[in-house]
Amino acid sequence: MRAEAAATGRGATSPPPSAAPPRRLLRNLTAKIAAIPMVLTALVVFLGGTVWTVVYSFTSSRMLPRAEFVGLEQYDRLWSTRRWVISIENLAIYGLCSLVFSLVIGFVLAALLDQKIRYENAFRTILLYPFALSFIVTGLVWQWILDPEFGLQSIIRGLGFENFTFDPLYNPDIAIFGILIAGLWQGTGLIMILMLAGLRGIDGEIWKASRVDGIPAWKTYLFIIVPMMRPVFITALVLITSGIVKLYDLVVAQTGGGPGIATEVPAKYVYDYMFGGQNLGQGFAASTMMLLAVAIVVIPWAMLEFGGKRRG
Amino acid sequence: MSRAVKPQRKALNTVLAWGMGLLIFFPILWTVLTSFKTEAEAIADPPIWFNFSWTLENYFTVQERSNYFRHFWNSVVISVGSTLIGLIIAVPAAWAMAFVPGKRTKDVLMWMLSTKMLPPVGVLVPLYLIFRDLGLLDTRIGLVFVLTMINLPIIIWMLYTYFREIPVDILEAARMDGAGLRDEVVHVLLPMAVPGMASTVLLNIILAWNEAFWTLNLTAAKAAPLTAFIASYSSPEGLFYAKLSAASTMAIAPILIMGWFSQKQLVRGLTFGAVK
Repeated sequence: MRAEAAATGRGATSPPPSAAPPRRLLRNLTAKIAAIPMVLTALVVFLGGTVWTVVYSFTSSRMLPRAEFVGLEQYDRLWSTRRWVISIENLAIYGLCSLVFSLVIGFVLAALLDQKIRYENAFRTILLYPFALSFIVTGLVWQWILDPEFGLQSIIRGLGFENFTFDPLYNPDIAIFGILIAGLWQGTGLIMILMLAGLRGIDGEIWKASRVDGIPAWKTYLFIIVPMMRPVFITALVLITSGIVKLYDLVVAQTGGGPGIATEVPAKYVYDYMFGGQNLGQGFAASTMMLLAVAIVVIPWAMLEFGGKRRG
Repeated sequence: MSRAVKPQRKALNTVLAWGMGLLIFFPILWTVLTSFKTEAEAIADPPIWFNFSWTLENYFTVQERSNYFRHFWNSVVISVGSTLIGLIIAVPAAWAMAFVPGKRTKDVLMWMLSTKMLPPVGVLVPLYLIFRDLGLLDTRIGLVFVLTMINLPIIIWMLYTYFREIPVDILEAARMDGAGLRDEVVHVLLPMAVPGMASTVLLNIILAWNEAFWTLNLTAAKAAPLTAFIASYSSPEGLFYAKLSAASTMAIAPILIMGWFSQKQLVRGLTFGAVK
């Protein structure tokens, strides 16, 4: 098939394609029509659904959505609920840590390994496997590994370290870090593979030049290589961020929000109030807050990143 | 090109790399191993590594308890279905963006991708209500529909990236030779984009296979895929780690196996086309 296509390409002789304006108009029109299904689904579902949710967050809806507006009452209640405040804190901790750790760990490991590795595709595949498993499975597996009686703690105690204690999932103060560990396990391999590919793209001459100038390797990395890998970092950032916003299944599988309410997250709050608590208004208000938080972070960044300079 | 290093360092790096790979793979390996143990062996202290009496009993118990194959089939239908429909919508859109770009194409693309950043809970209730009114709750068709929409931005983005690598001249040449638009796309563009499309398809199947938020919230018993099946084991009813491991292994095996035999596509797909 490929060869056939290439042959067609070589067979063409007369180039001027812009010679037929009506056809071009038709083509543009076709392009617009071709994009319609996509725009429509995105518009109707995401925008429509989101706006609807925001509007109903100002109502007193309980079991069913009801258009009885009560102003900011739901928000008042939301922010005076301890569980919500804890959820937000947890998401902030998880988000910040997973962003920093996966970028740093991913980059450092990639830099350490910056070379061809034997059986590279197999190596990459293994590193990507955690990412190919669902959060549900990840949560279950790590629930077990972090179980003090059967997991890591008991194995290390069995090796002779009798007083070794590592039971994050049973300690409310640090339980969210137990989830963070599972999350990092799932995502860091992916970031590392991305970074490794990015490092490959760096011209070897740069290393030669920096060696000639006697610049230490870490300085070269920090001030020359990292800035050059900007696109890779942006891809990584987008992937990590969308993982943070989605944080739900991992918690459900790993701790169910416990111990107590120590590992609650916003998405779970919304879900529990909508379906379990039969208090739709609370759920709407909570999801509107999440939306707002995302918007505050993402919009300025997106404007900075993709606006301005490219439109010229 | 990577930086030049000494041969000893190279060997060390390879060892280091594979050591890390093993460390990352260990939880998966451990789960698979445990699935073949008896419950007593699974929680033995100190842990037994290989010399236990291998048994398939856990698998039979799990199948009996929750009918694995029905969930498996649901997962297949949902992920393949949503991928196919996604492609049907995405190919024209990606074609339009890559070959007939307008002034706002980049903006549309970014806006579309940005919807992936929105918390999905924001549209949960409206969608739930629409589903209830249309009788789509707990149906495979409903899930296919939702997952198509959830993953559409990613499919379009990836196809767009791959399409852009294809020289416009070839398409123009085909047109000069009298190929209609349909021929141009179906017989020229798509065959050349096969590697990219394969990665896209694989990525999308994996994403759909693992999607838990929507599948947990929109299904009950009938249409529940493997994510819901495995989630039903997360509330510990006693400590049945061997059975839990068997269930996990059954849920992840299709992806692990599929991934192993299509490593190139997996790497390209899971890194969203960033790694060639």
